[in-house]
Amino acid sequence: MSRYPPVSPRPELPEEFRFLCMLHNVGAINAERSLKVEEIAKWTDKEVSTIGEFLRKLAELGYVQAVKSNGVKYHVSVAGIRKVLTLYS
Amino acid sequence: MKICLLSWEFPPRIVGGIARHVFGLAKALAKDGHDVGVVTLDFPGAPDYEEIESFKIYRSKTEVGHPNFLVWAFLFNHFLEKRLATAERDFDFDLIHVHDWLAAPAGIGFKHFMNKPLICTMHSTEEGRSSLHHPDSYMIDGMEWWACYEAARIIVTSNSMKGEICNHFKMPGEDVDVIPNAIDVEKYNVDADRWAVRRRFGVGDHEKMVLFVGRLVPQKGVEYLIRAVPRIGWRFPDAKFVIVGEGWMRGHLEWLADRSGQHWRINFTGFISDDDLVALTKSADVMVVPSVYEPFGIVALEGMAAGVPVVVSQVGGLAEVVEHDKTGVYVYPRSVDSIAWGVERVLSDSGYRDWLVKNAYSTVQSRFSWQAVAKQTVEVYKRVLGEE
Repeated sequence: MSRYPPVSPRPELPEEFRFLCMLHNVGAINAERSLKVEEIAKWTDKEVSTIGEFLRKLAELGYVQAVKSNGVKYHVSVAGIRKVLTLYS
Repeated sequence: MKICLLSWEFPPRIVGGIARHVFGLAKALAKDGHDVGVVTLDFPGAPDYEEIESFKIYRSKTEVGHPNFLVWAFLFNHFLEKRLATAERDFDFDLIHVHDWLAAPAGIGFKHFMNKPLICTMHSTEEGRSSLHHPDSYMIDGMEWWACYEAARIIVTSNSMKGEICNHFKMPGEDVDVIPNAIDVEKYNVDADRWAVRRRFGVGDHEKMVLFVGRLVPQKGVEYLIRAVPRIGWRFPDAKFVIVGEGWMRGHLEWLADRSGQHWRINFTGFISDDDLVALTKSADVMVVPSVYEPFGIVALEGMAAGVPVVVSQVGGLAEVVEHDKTGVYVYPRSVDSIAWGVERVLSDSGYRDWLVKNAYSTVQSRFSWQAVAKQTVEVYKRVLGEE
């Protein structure tokens, strides 16, 4: 019997990280360019409820920040940008 | 000479090794008396324009985005090209030197509009990174070929990369120059409280620290190091592993660490600052670079400069940077047994470890300085400009 852990299945990038990349690519990378959930839904072609769940997870990880300005808007944090950049290379 | 360096990443926007490479090259070229401008993408907190270390940095804002990565890349190239135009008005540069495919469309467009020679450094290839598994990969592969085709000369950092460029893209060997990557050795001449640093990263005073630094992606082979942890831990019960870096595989690697039953030995630090990285590297007992694909292997060079023995996969550029049994230890790529053997070889013999460290440091100083790299790069520029 092998002393080593079994070969694991090929990992997939979690959906919330794909979404983080989209948020980065549409330019929501600072407070001035933050977007409402509805705007993000339009850009990314995803359901508002799905986006809410992604944003909650990403905010917990510190990759997304919320800004209160005429409602709540969201943008990728600096840690989030670094995360996106590592996903691209 | 007036030189424009074009790159999608430049500090503080650090993705992989390109940002540090372009910074080191710009600094060394400016130190040699050349006018250097770097055109790159913006990053929160970084100014649109600044002058540091005697060179200029022009950062471009990407005013329109798109959720798709490739479309986004083409869009930011449009904005990079606009920024190139303002840089060109500021100083009439003699040539454009682009780094990798991501900024290539801007460089190629500008070459034709302004009739300036284009030089391209290929740091890696999509085929090597991901084996062309997806339509986007084929697109990137095509972009890389295009960048090479348009360049007056192609620079690569190792003979292994030269082989890739000539075989895969069918580029003539005489158009490709091999200029190694370099490192700022002075960066490692700092005092670090070794014991405090180790404690901060979860390594006790009498424990052995095995360090990995790199992006957590398949090409870096970190999963094979994690698989080797039980065996190394059996031989050295006081071994601890510090995994520095981020990447899309992180969740999978932590799962693997859990499955091994040895997660308590392994600290995944995520992204850490440059200062912390230097201090941590200087404090390690051994650095492992288990890559399965590595066009150069700057991390090994950083370990060698920091005075830590390196255990590296015998692949690509790594095998050109490190000499087995003299400046480091080779192990077989993708081999858990071999990685465990390499780590054990270094940790079990302090005389051997000191011998490797001494040889490695002397090699880094003589072969991999930025001054030497800048000099070779200028020779390529002169050849392109017909000054030779």
